[in-house]
Amino acid sequence: MQIPHEVIPRRDTGLYNAKIGIWIFLASEVMLFGGLFSAYAFLRLGVQTGVDNPWPWGLSVHKNFVWLGAINTLVLIASSVGVVFAWVAVKERNWKRYQRYMYFVVACALTFMAIKSVEYYSKLVKHHGIKLVDNSVMEGTIIDRSDKIEFQGEKISFNLQGALPWVFKDFESGEFPLLTVESGPDEVVGDKIASAAAFKAWHSSGRAKVMQKLVDERRRYRAERDAGATPKPVSVNSSVTLVATAPFKVNADFRRLVMHNATALNYRDGVKVEGKLVTDAVRFQVHEVDMQLVLPTKQRSSVVWDVIGSAEAKQHFFDKQSEKYAELKEYYDKRGGIIPDKQLRGRFLNVQYVHVPIDEKSGGENKSAQHDSVHTSDMLLTAGGGDSEGHVGPSKTILVPRDKIKFMSNHGPRYGNYYGIYFTITALHGIHVIFGALVLLFFTIFGKKMFLENPDHLANRVEVGGLFWHFVDLVWIFLFPLMYLL
Amino acid sequence: MSDAHFDAAKTKKSFFAVGIALFVFTVVTVVVGLVPMFDIGAPGPDAADIILGLAIAGTKASLVALIFMHLNHEKGAIYKLMLFTTIMFACLMVATIFAEMDPIKEQFDTLSTTSGVVSEVR
Repeated sequence: MQIPHEVIPRRDTGLYNAKIGIWIFLASEVMLFGGLFSAYAFLRLGVQTGVDNPWPWGLSVHKNFVWLGAINTLVLIASSVGVVFAWVAVKERNWKRYQRYMYFVVACALTFMAIKSVEYYSKLVKHHGIKLVDNSVMEGTIIDRSDKIEFQGEKISFNLQGALPWVFKDFESGEFPLLTVESGPDEVVGDKIASAAAFKAWHSSGRAKVMQKLVDERRRYRAERDAGATPKPVSVNSSVTLVATAPFKVNADFRRLVMHNATALNYRDGVKVEGKLVTDAVRFQVHEVDMQLVLPTKQRSSVVWDVIGSAEAKQHFFDKQSEKYAELKEYYDKRGGIIPDKQLRGRFLNVQYVHVPIDEKSGGENKSAQHDSVHTSDMLLTAGGGDSEGHVGPSKTILVPRDKIKFMSNHGPRYGNYYGIYFTITALHGIHVIFGALVLLFFTIFGKKMFLENPDHLANRVEVGGLFWHFVDLVWIFLFPLMYLL
Repeated sequence: MSDAHFDAAKTKKSFFAVGIALFVFTVVTVVVGLVPMFDIGAPGPDAADIILGLAIAGTKASLVALIFMHLNHEKGAIYKLMLFTTIMFACLMVATIFAEMDPIKEQFDTLSTTSGVVSEVR
C-alpha cells in the first residue's frame, strides 16, 4: 500500500505527512520535558528552606562534572551539525557523503552515552555523602563499603512463619557456616544446615510443617468449641534458633536493621542475630564540608569538627570562609547595601574544601593503598580534585561513629532532590539519545534502496529524524547549565 | 523542506556558521560559570548568573530551532500546532511562582538567619 504524501506535500497543510507527524510528537515531547523542568524549578526553589539535603552547588566534586557536561554539549552540537549536513548530502544526491555524516552522528551519540556512563558510575559508586546529626554534611568517599555494619554472628533466631530471613544475603560472599537447629518445633530440632541451598530447602519444608500444624490446631479448636467445651487457645511454636559451630561474618545493611548493639542485630523482618559487633564506624575520606544547613552561629561548634578531629582542617575551612566573606562584603559595601541572607547561608560561604592531613604517628589505621586508589588514580571520578591552593593528595581516613550519622548515601537519586531530578531528566534524555541514534542508524544502513528509488523520500526521512535529534540537542542545551552550572 | 529553489552551498554555509556559534556559546557558558574573573554580579552564584546562563541557553536553543529545525521559514500549520504547546509550556513555568508564595517560609528564613547574628560571629 502506498502511503500518501510521503514526498509531495498535502495541499491543505503544505507539508508532507511525516513532518506534521514529527511536530505533533515533538509538541508532546515539549510537554513531557516541560513538566520535568518545572519540577526541577520547584525543587530548586524549595531547597533553600533547608528541609532537604543541600543542592550540590559549589561542591568541587560537582564542578568536575562540568567538564564532562561541557564536552557532552559540544558532542551533541557536533552531531546536530552532522545531521543537517547529511540531509544536504542527500539533497545533493551524494550517498557516500550522506553515510559518512550519519556514521559521525551515531559515533557522537555513542560518545555522549559513554561520557554519561562515566558520570553515572562515579556518582553512584565513587561519591558518597554523610549528613551528621546537626545537619552538617561531609562529602567524600566511604572506604571498603564500611557503611555496612561488620558483625560476627553466632546465633540466628527467627520465625518459621515468615519469609526467608534477609540476613542470609548479608553473609560474607561464598561463606556459609554449619548451622544446627538448637530450639524450635520438635520436627526440626537437631537439623543441620551447611549451605545456602540446603537452608532454602530446609526453610520451606520447616515452614510447611509449621503451617500444617497450625491447620491441625485450628481444626482441634473448632472441634472442641463445637463440642461445647471451652477450647484451649491455638498455639504453635514456630520460632527457631540456629546456632553456628564457628562464628560467621555478617555485613549488615543498615537500612535493613531496626537496631543493633554490641551483641545483637535486629533486622526489620524480625530476625535477630546474636554475636559480637566487630566495628560500627564508617571509614570515610572527607573532601568537602557543606555547612549550608547549619546556622552560622553554630558552625564552629558543629559535630563535624569532632568527627574530623583535625584542628588544621577546621582552621582551613574558616580561613577560607572569612576570605570569601571579605570578598562579599567588599562587593556589597561598594553598592551600599547589606549582604543578603541568601548569600550568607549559601554555598559560596558554607561549602569549603577540607583537607585532613595524615598524622604520621597514627598512620596505623590508614591504608595507603586505599588512598592511592581513591585519590590519585582517577581524580576526576573521585575527589574534589583539590582547591585553588592545590590541596590534593591523600587525606586521612576518618572514622565516623554511626550514632553521629543522620543519613548517608551515594550520590544516587536518594541523596537529595537535586540527584532525584538529575537522574530522572538525564536518564530520560539518555533514552532519547539512544532511540534517536538507532533510528538514524537504520536510515544509514538500510537507506540505499530508497536513495536510489526516491531520494527525496529519504531526504524527508532524514529531515524528520533530524528534527527529533535537534530536539534532543535542544533539551541538553538547557540541561547543561541548569544541572551543572547554575 | 522540498523547495524547488534549494541552494545547497548557502544552506551548508549557514549550518556551519550556526554550529560554530553554538560551540562558542558553550565555551562562554563554561567560562562564565567557572572562572571567578568572569563571574558577573556578586561573587559566587547569584541571580545575575542564572539570568545570563539562561539567556545564553535561550539563544543557543533559538539558533537550533530557527536554523537547524527550519522554524524560520516553516508552514503555518506547524506554527499553529506549536502555539498550543508553547502556551502550555509557559503555564508550567509560570506555575513555579507558587513556590515563592509561602508566608511560612518567609518566617522560617527570617528566624533562622539574620544578618546581625552573622556579623556578630565574625
